[in-house]
Amino acid sequence: MPLWFELASLMLAAYGAGIGIGWALWGRQNQHEE
Amino acid sequence: MPIRPSFAILAGAVVCVASAYALAERAAPGFVERLKTQSDAAIADAGGEGVSARFVNINGSPTRHPVLEGGEALNEATRARVARAVYDVPGVGGVVWSDGTLRAESDEPTYQPLHCQEDVEGLLRTRSIRFEEASSALLPASRILLDEVAEALRPCLGSIIAITGHTDKAGTEPGNLALSMERARVVREALVRRGIPRDGLRASGVGSSRPVEGLAPSDPANRRIEFSVIRTEPLRPTPVDTPGAR
Repeated sequence: MPLWFELASLMLAAYGAGIGIGWALWGRQNQHEE
Repeated sequence: MPIRPSFAILAGAVVCVASAYALAERAAPGFVERLKTQSDAAIADAGGEGVSARFVNINGSPTRHPVLEGGEALNEATRARVARAVYDVPGVGGVVWSDGTLRAESDEPTYQPLHCQEDVEGLLRTRSIRFEEASSALLPASRILLDEVAEALRPCLGSIIAITGHTDKAGTEPGNLALSMERARVVREALVRRGIPRDGLRASGVGSSRPVEGLAPSDPANRRIEFSVIRTEPLRPTPVDTPGAR
């Protein structure tokens, strides 16, 4: 597996986790307020 | 104009991949060079003469999963040691040989055969498990012998133990077959009562079809119970990251 692919996978995983956590903390709340 | 969230998320992912690529392209040569230097030293320490680690994949991209080349003349133990030495370099991922796969057999513990069958055969050489005539009831003396047989089979727990019943030629063959089967079953139950797990025991009867070699089929000595220990291959974990000789 090329190095860039490993790094990209890790960064995408972290990005996805960040989006998921962000949505759980704030996105869901905003949905209820609307 | 408001930006749609899904579009923003997708754009973020693209930026993520692009930056990972740029970062890797910048850092990879130095990183791989360091791995190569350390691996070469590790190979030399492990006695891997003529072995070199290639940290570039088939497309020419730098990788931390090296392919080991050369060393065809080395023995399996040395190859396994070399692979492990490279694998132990911090930062190195899975190691493969250019002429083999990840799964190694050579550095696994060698198979030690169990001696239960010989032990049981030794017990039954001079004595035999005897039944009342034309019946599957065990004679009292055989109970003591069965205690010893169960004790001898204990180290082989986990293997399949086949119990085969035999009769002599007296009587009709269907009757002999049923009798030998019943006797084998009685022995199995007796062993279960002595603590041998039932799921490892297989009872079968062959009637008078297989007399003892050198004996007439009608000889009463053909009435016997035979044990054979069929060793099953134990389950072994085969982690894909464990480097081996091939």
